[in-house]
Amino acid sequence: MLFPLESAIRADAKTVAESDDYDIVIVGSGVSGAIIAKQAAEAGKRVLVLEAGTGANTTLAGYDNLLTTFYSAASKDNQSPFPLNANAAIPRSPQLRKLQAGETDSSNYIVQSGPYVSDTTYTRIFGGTTMHWEAKTPRLLRSDFKTRTLFGQGLDWPLSFEEVEEDYRLAEREIGVSANVEDQQYLGQTFPDDYVFPMRGLPLSYLDQQVNKGIEGTSVELYDKTYPLKVRPYPQGRNGIPNPAYDGGKGYRPIGAVDTHQVEEGGRCQGNTNCVPLCPVQARYHSGKTLAKAFAVSGERGEGLVELLPQAVASKVNIDPDNGKVRSLEVKIYKDPASPAHETITVKGKVFVLAAGAIETARLMLASGLRSTSGLVGRNLMDHAYLLNWALMPEICGTMRGTSSTGGIVDLRDGPFRERQAAFAIDIHNDGWGWATGAPTSDLLELVDDRNLYGADLRRGMIDRVSRQLLLAFMIEVMPVESNRITVDPQYTDALGNMRPILSFTVPEYTMKGAAYGRQFARTIFTRLGAQDHTRYDPSDFGYVAYEGQGYAIRGGNHLAGTHIMGTTRTNSVVDKNQRSWDHENLYLVGGGSMPTIGTANVTLTLAAMCFRSGRNILKSLH
Amino acid sequence: MDSYSIKTLDELKEFLFRAMQLEHATIPPYLTALYSIKPGVNQDATQVLRVIVVEEMLHLTIAANILNAIGGKLDLVRPDFVASYPAALPDGETDFKVGIQAFGREALAAFLKIERPARRPEHLIGKGLIYRKTPPGITALGSHPRHEDFHFYSIGEFYSTIEEGIKYLEAEAHGAGTTIFTGDRSRQITSEYYYSGGGELFPVTDLKSALEAIELIIEQGEGDGGGIYDDDDHELAHYYRFEELVKGRYYQKGDQPGHPTGPHLQVDWEGAYPIKENLKVADIFEGSELREAAIAFNTRYGEFLQLLTRAYNGQPSLLLEAVPMMFEFRNMILELIRNPLPKHPGKNGSPTYEIPGGIKQPAVTRQAEVNA
Repeated sequence: MLFPLESAIRADAKTVAESDDYDIVIVGSGVSGAIIAKQAAEAGKRVLVLEAGTGANTTLAGYDNLLTTFYSAASKDNQSPFPLNANAAIPRSPQLRKLQAGETDSSNYIVQSGPYVSDTTYTRIFGGTTMHWEAKTPRLLRSDFKTRTLFGQGLDWPLSFEEVEEDYRLAEREIGVSANVEDQQYLGQTFPDDYVFPMRGLPLSYLDQQVNKGIEGTSVELYDKTYPLKVRPYPQGRNGIPNPAYDGGKGYRPIGAVDTHQVEEGGRCQGNTNCVPLCPVQARYHSGKTLAKAFAVSGERGEGLVELLPQAVASKVNIDPDNGKVRSLEVKIYKDPASPAHETITVKGKVFVLAAGAIETARLMLASGLRSTSGLVGRNLMDHAYLLNWALMPEICGTMRGTSSTGGIVDLRDGPFRERQAAFAIDIHNDGWGWATGAPTSDLLELVDDRNLYGADLRRGMIDRVSRQLLLAFMIEVMPVESNRITVDPQYTDALGNMRPILSFTVPEYTMKGAAYGRQFARTIFTRLGAQDHTRYDPSDFGYVAYEGQGYAIRGGNHLAGTHIMGTTRTNSVVDKNQRSWDHENLYLVGGGSMPTIGTANVTLTLAAMCFRSGRNILKSLH
Repeated sequence: MDSYSIKTLDELKEFLFRAMQLEHATIPPYLTALYSIKPGVNQDATQVLRVIVVEEMLHLTIAANILNAIGGKLDLVRPDFVASYPAALPDGETDFKVGIQAFGREALAAFLKIERPARRPEHLIGKGLIYRKTPPGITALGSHPRHEDFHFYSIGEFYSTIEEGIKYLEAEAHGAGTTIFTGDRSRQITSEYYYSGGGELFPVTDLKSALEAIELIIEQGEGDGGGIYDDDDHELAHYYRFEELVKGRYYQKGDQPGHPTGPHLQVDWEGAYPIKENLKVADIFEGSELREAAIAFNTRYGEFLQLLTRAYNGQPSLLLEAVPMMFEFRNMILELIRNPLPKHPGKNGSPTYEIPGGIKQPAVTRQAEVNA
């Protein structure tokens, strides 16, 4: 039906403030909060989800409005579908500028205190950052869980891959991952004999195939070890062909969406290429799909068990000084995104889950004055460092067909070289040079303004230019460093008077060494492909980093992690291996912020897997 | 058993072919109305139409599954497969024909008639088929293969006859120690190749699944037993979705037919391009770009039907290639609909759905086979 489901489950502020029987209060409706909400509801628990955004996109019409905003936006950055909302502001990359030494830029929501300026983003809207993620879902490698032991770098997880494996499978089911096991068996990744992913792998794009043709059978050497090259498909959180062999032959049925109507539960991927920022047919997973299922769970009296309170910005965590437990949350409820007018309510519950993303969760903790025994809240901020390399292929390769990225070169995700330099995974971008240069708009301007092309020549020129574009995005490992961090300061506040996050980041040398090698690597690949290298890093670029006499423009990956790091004791970490706060026993800080390392895997699948573990732990604590 | 019931397997196959023809017949009118809506208006109407078009495609595919299950041969490029618009439906009356027109009050009135939950009026109960002499050149959808001038009263009645025919023939076969469900199972289109397309697609392999398939078609169209929803209360029947647009209000659970009480919705009745109704290529000025575009669309649509024919004849994976073709249709139809029709002031072009015979394999398929 096309009738908005949300009317049944949307809570009102007054009722919420007067309620004292929520089992779980969750801050944030992204994938972490959604998984825990669904798990809890299925166990019969009452759940309140607080969402800073308006929640307008819980309906199909609301989702379509985001698409309309995106289509009509002049700048197609990954936040362009999302309307401005100063009460739940989000970082936007086009507004950044390079910082001088010692300078702080507070003109945007995230205060950049340098020296490196990060264009990393996350989305404060119903569905969280899954509303704009690219939906690549690789697992971490076995070695990524123990990089300290194996390579003397970073930190070991308090969990092994084996302990996480079952939850990876749950996360792959929840997200509905499309992949073939045989494609993912590399660098020691193994799967049980009968394992299949929920959906069959999506095909490699023609561009991927052309790149593979040029490099397959060749190899590179690194510290005396040879690494063979080929293009491998990525596992992806988007609808492909359901695998009939899934679940012991029961098959997989793709379900769930912002709307309950069958047709709108998420179409099959059509290769629209604007996966980031927003899939027009909801083929790409977003946490609204999980929440739709959570909202549909009813209790004994037929009542919905999960309520959503939108326009609710969690502002303070109140602790009971006697026992260290969280007593309540202070929440600011605004009436209108265009006005800072708001009321403040207090929300009570048995267990509290902060699932607002690595930056917002840390920000809320710090703004509440909760620094933890270890003092590590906000520290160890991680995000993959992206180094872009772009070239023109010798022949038309059909760039702009397929999803944003279908395949990549991933054999340097692991190896003994990680004792000395960062590993990386290389994404082949099917959407051309867009990320690097603003193509195809920049190509059009150049052909018209500089080369005076028009009519048929212009059309031919555009096709020739765009459909040969190859962008290799090197996703480089970043290890936890305590000085890379999020802090708050009362002098920087937002419209509601909440303190904004201040980001201080230096790209670690380990990572820059990987970047420098990556640049050489890209040159080698381009040569083998006969592609013309067009890569140029501008010293005035906000992400420009000099290393050993060369300059590199490092981009943020939006794979935020580390700010409430997980460990074995209250002195070496903020949360335990269930993502439960060491200092506050009814508080869970979940999401990427708990991850001790991020290796070369996009973080969503792993943090989703971790939330299944936390959900079980929460339910146990409630019994 | 009356003289109109289905008595042979061949007859059942012909009935099912006509069922596919009937299911397909609603797609061009709905699709045209959908794409005639101007950008930025009628969001609700767009959704309603889109959902219904998709479900009609599901029905087409279900009918194909049933026909395949009994060993029938599917041919969507048979010259009489695509209706000549305006066409007459098996509604038993002559009060309307299905035509190609822009979204608007008139189109919606016709759509409501197509989907109306048809029960015979008192004076027609027990009277057998309805006689209706179809004028030459008009496609009559859902007529009886042996009695071309006789029509069922409603789509529901047409399918009931099929249902009875299947039961009868299967019982007869059963008595002889065999079954009518002898079709090649690999020809069944399953949800692996078709999902999120308006409902669950399941293989038809026996009497039970065949009857379930027919039920699904009837309920999505007309609702279940006079209610506004289908059997599991999940989906509103087509008739009531169109009615929501007319009444400017959504239905919600518990509502009685004709009285939606959900949220209001907006329809801009002027928010569509003024396309010329039931346009034919011959009406378009010779030598005009619009004429070329109309012919190009018809050719491509013919290739699409050829692709579907092959997909339904044992190559279900070809359905994946139908997706980009449907994007092409959108673009080609918009091109026709948004441009003025030469020598018809105030009127725009339209797809004509005059599908040429003898279409061979579409280019895209050949290329895909080379790649594979």
